Amino acid sequence: MILSWVPFVEPLPVWDYWPLLLLPLCAGLSVVYKSIRCDDMRRVPREATALFATIIFALIGAALAIWLLVKVVVN
Amino acid sequence: MSRSPAASPWYAPVPVVAIATWLVPGSGYLLLGQIARGLTIGITVVVLFVCGLLIGGIHVVDPPTFGPPLHGESVVRRFERHVSEVLQKPPYIGQFMTGVIGIYAGRIGPRQPESHARLNDIGTLYTAVAGMLNLLAIIDASHRAAHPPPPKPGDA
Repeated sequence: MILSWVPFVEPLPVWDYWPLLLLPLCAGLSVVYKSIRCDDMRRVPREATALFATIIFALIGAALAIWLLVKVVVN
Repeated sequence: MSRSPAASPWYAPVPVVAIATWLVPGSGYLLLGQIARGLTIGITVVVLFVCGLLIGGIHVVDPPTFGPPLHGESVVRRFERHVSEVLQKPPYIGQFMTGVIGIYAGRIGPRQPESHARLNDIGTLYTAVAGMLNLLAIIDASHRAAHPPPPKPGDA
């Protein structure tokens, strides 16, 4: 499938791994946000890493909460 | 890193900084002499936008068409119609904020085949988030240009 893929014209053939596409988006968002917020750019790597981890854990927590809610409601 | 207007060879007026940051992400910070911040933000925004095009195909950038004026249509009605067309495609508001790259992708995107389902959504999300982050950068760079820090006591 990857051999017949035309970049930028056809969508990336990652149908089975699409949740992983969340990671680069959260990483980019963390880096830009902390680059804007921090006065000293030397603090950006550490603070962006912390924000990235916070976002990922919050999303995993929200996913678990929704999964539990669905389990409770359905059962 | 930024300098006061009097002491800085990098001083640039606020509108120039805002427009430069919109056209080329991060370039407003470069005008203010904040090289690391400008390169970090600029490269990250462009990479996110290009990742969105790669994930969903370039058709994820789909601008409103803005058809010709209708017969007997008043200026107010035409404005309302254009606002309505923009609101029917809200992701383009974010994509437009990435500047030249977003406008160019909007010109060639609709001619390409459309992707569907999750990958289209994720590609659209990447490109729109990149534009919204650039909007944050435009506001921040403009604020830094308008309020440069006071010179330090040791500065000439």
